[in-house]
Amino acid sequence: MNFAATLGFGLPLGIGLAAIGSGIGIGFMGKGAMEAMGRQPEILPKLQVAMIIGFGFAEALTIYAFVTMFFLQGRIG
Amino acid sequence: MIAAVLTALILPKHPYAALALAAGQLLSALNFFFLEKLVKLFTHATVTRREGGSGSLPGRFFAFAGLKVTLVYGAVAALTLTRWVEPLPFLGGFSLPLLALFLKSLMLAFGSGPNSLVRRATKTAATSGNVAKPAALLLILALFVVHGAALASDAVPPSGTAAATGTHGATEAHGAAGTAQPAEHAAAKSEGGAQHLPNWVILLNDYFPHNPVVHWLHENEVLVFAWLSGLVFLLIAWIAMRRPKPVPGQLQNALEWIVESLDDVCGGLLGSHKERYIIFISALFFYILTINLLGIIPGFMSATSSLDLTLALALITFAYVQFWGIRNLGILGYLDHLAGSPRDPIGFAMLPVMVPVHILGELAKPVSLSCRLFGNIFGEDTLIVVFVGATALLLKASLAALAVPPMLGISALFMMLQTLTAIVQALIFSLLATVYLYMMLPHEEHAHGETEPAHS
Repeated sequence: MNFAATLGFGLPLGIGLAAIGSGIGIGFMGKGAMEAMGRQPEILPKLQVAMIIGFGFAEALTIYAFVTMFFLQGRIG
Repeated sequence: MIAAVLTALILPKHPYAALALAAGQLLSALNFFFLEKLVKLFTHATVTRREGGSGSLPGRFFAFAGLKVTLVYGAVAALTLTRWVEPLPFLGGFSLPLLALFLKSLMLAFGSGPNSLVRRATKTAATSGNVAKPAALLLILALFVVHGAALASDAVPPSGTAAATGTHGATEAHGAAGTAQPAEHAAAKSEGGAQHLPNWVILLNDYFPHNPVVHWLHENEVLVFAWLSGLVFLLIAWIAMRRPKPVPGQLQNALEWIVESLDDVCGGLLGSHKERYIIFISALFFYILTINLLGIIPGFMSATSSLDLTLALALITFAYVQFWGIRNLGILGYLDHLAGSPRDPIGFAMLPVMVPVHILGELAKPVSLSCRLFGNIFGEDTLIVVFVGATALLLKASLAALAVPPMLGISALFMMLQTLTAIVQALIFSLLATVYLYMMLPHEEHAHGETEPAHS
């Protein structure tokens, strides 16, 4: 099997898949946070902090894929 | 001492490297001797000024400063430029005592040590809560970060190879050292891939390709920009806080607002432990923020788009968190925390599973912290580079009318996005550091249902 071609095909696909996962995660989190904000506007600051932290964790997964892509990018040739 | 052991270890194999290591340590010790003198004189002057004395810096201060700069940096420059010593072990040797001193100063600052400078900074910041005080720690942090970055790139050659795909400067350094063949390979491969926008260091290198100083700058551009941004923020903080007024001016107001919001957000998480840790957290925040924002100015690059620097930052955070974990919980409590706090037979039965899981979890934190920051900033940079490259291509094809207006618009749009990313990532890094710290603190007092249950 052609290593470079496989890599060239797989890397973007992998990032896309990771992005789907992160997107779903962040979407759920945003939905929950919005609903909570609508119900109880007074907890806004605390909610925002927790939300941003959660976003960070969810987003990190895509970033890992992204960093992996950078590391393997040179080998696509 | 550790360094001496290390020197002895590698002496038979690489005598030159060991020599370089020893030289680095010697210089570092010299550096610290002068630094100590300088700090003593400086604090003396400041104290007398505060007490109403004349308080101008004595001439000895400048004499020492001049002596230090010429001796230490001159020696460093001479040694690196003449290639008498291998640069990487030399840097490593130089930074080892720094790292040890960093840990020691942490202990001194927060423990029962003598009145070090850091301790003073901690106290005043806790009482007055203004901006210039985190800056004091920031300088220290900046110093250690860059040395840590050098250390990190020394210690982990594979990471250096990997980073070489992205960082132009690192590739140059490794190639010049002739140690990393894969690095050169990767560099050759990545020619067609992502590249940096030109910054003034690269431009200088193009115009004066044979100037040794410029060459050194070019090899260590990440270091240079990290230092630069530390200095920039120190300057800003100094200007804003030179004469703190009760009714603040614009700059002071802005900085105070940032500090207060950070205090609210992170302090709300930490609860009663706030004063002790907020210095470190805010120093992290401002340092990363300055570095990130520096990348937006054309001609500069953000040093966080190199994995070396973010890894160093994350490792410092890691060491800090672990240190405070051990200090707060005690050795036994720390081990108990690592074991998942077993309280019943099932918990003890799960011990062999829980310990590796917790250790892995701890080790994953710096990796995730550094990769997140690096990926975000580097990704944004690459995005802009791609569009600027497209503009250049269109210009080469003499399609200026087509190229300039829309491409400029798009680039500007992405730069706005980059600004947002810079701020958010700095916030996330410091927030996550806070969360990790919070997880390390004793949980009992939080479990009793205090007024601040923090986030949950």
